[in-house]
Amino acid sequence: MNWKLSAGLLLIASPLFAQADSEWLLDHGVLNYHVSHPMHQVDGVSHAAKGKGTCRAGQCNFLVAAPVKSFDSGDSNRDLHMLQVVRGGEFPMVSVRTQLPADAAKSTTVHADLEIEFAGQTVQYKEVSFHLVMQGNEAKLTGTIPAKLTDFKIDPPSLLAIPVKNDLPIYVELTWKRQK
Amino acid sequence: MRLKPAKIALGSAILLCGIFASTPANAQTAGGAVSGTVTSPSGAVVPNAKVSAKAIATQQITETLTDSNGHYAFASLPPGDYEISVSAEGLGTASARITVAADGTTTADVKLSGAISLGDLGFSPAQTQGSAEDQARLNKRSHMLMLHQRFGLIATVPLIATLATSINAGGKSTSTTDRDLHVALGAVTGDLYGISAYYAIRAPRIEGTQTRGPIKAHKILAWIHGPGMILTPILGAIAFDQKNKGEKVHGIASAHGPVAIVTAAAYGAAILSVTFKF
Repeated sequence: MNWKLSAGLLLIASPLFAQADSEWLLDHGVLNYHVSHPMHQVDGVSHAAKGKGTCRAGQCNFLVAAPVKSFDSGDSNRDLHMLQVVRGGEFPMVSVRTQLPADAAKSTTVHADLEIEFAGQTVQYKEVSFHLVMQGNEAKLTGTIPAKLTDFKIDPPSLLAIPVKNDLPIYVELTWKRQK
Repeated sequence: MRLKPAKIALGSAILLCGIFASTPANAQTAGGAVSGTVTSPSGAVVPNAKVSAKAIATQQITETLTDSNGHYAFASLPPGDYEISVSAEGLGTASARITVAADGTTTADVKLSGAISLGDLGFSPAQTQGSAEDQARLNKRSHMLMLHQRFGLIATVPLIATLATSINAGGKSTSTTDRDLHVALGAVTGDLYGISAYYAIRAPRIEGTQTRGPIKAHKILAWIHGPGMILTPILGAIAFDQKNKGEKVHGIASAHGPVAIVTAAAYGAAILSVTFKF
């Protein structure tokens, strides 16, 4: 087999690898919500997210989820209040689903349509940008979901009769590992 | 009467025939068969998928696996409503509701959506399923703590007034009016404090929650101002009695002022520890 034939086979094989079925598991994930008030700023972080992705026939499905009560703002009283406000007793999970073409991994910026289930509501966010870094069998995805309290029909909690701002940006940092 | 062996044998045979004849009739009405094919989102058959049939009435579960053609079968299920659930590695889960009729065959083909479920991530049903009762407990807790906060804040007004009137009520003052006003304001403070404390103590506890952050200091301070709020009026009553007799406040009653100041300081610190949080 000469080098031209080898190179030709390699060129044909590359897109095939890109299209190959694969499975991804979330190695570690950080979800961070930010709540803003004229007198106070709060960040709640969860390290309890689990996720899985499957790629078949050039299409990938991903699901990331975390228990709502796993978010820690450094104050258990506030966390329980937040859990109550977001109806976490009745809807204890927050989950994010997305579908991406397998070749989305070729770019460092991924624009994903997200479907978020939270507080008993399912809300879709279109074209949310994430930064992607591929390293071998590992993919690191970072970005911010521009969520709002009213999207999920959540009454904003108040401090000294002043409600918090409607914006609830969720910063995500997800490290995925390819399984097969 | 003596029976011949032949007659005994004949009688036994008739009896046995009767028993065996009735058994198949019961078996025929006992259940129906369920079968189907499991396919992937692309329509391909899915071998080795886990299929379970859960009887809605009894919650009894029967399980099987699909064969190499994606086919599964339950030979005989008692008649009734069933939930057929299918799961396959990487293809997610799907379910279908069917009714199994006696002596009938029900076909339930299932197409997997390919969507990943929370169960696929390793979350247990106990983690993913909430309840109205859990939410009601959280709502009650928040409501009671809100009342605790409001009554606690309102109590600061008579508390400050009580401290302010203590200057004329104690020491060398002989004014009974000032003492009576001081006692009345102290009583109002104590009542409001008691109501506030009731809501904090009776608010439902949420299992699996560890106390973190400023609320920890708030709770520790309660161990100072709580006993202080009980001790202060007791000492105050003794001091009041001594003053009314024209005596100088003495003995244990002389601790009324210092205990009241420590109590008020702890109470103020407890409020400040959580006021600037929501």
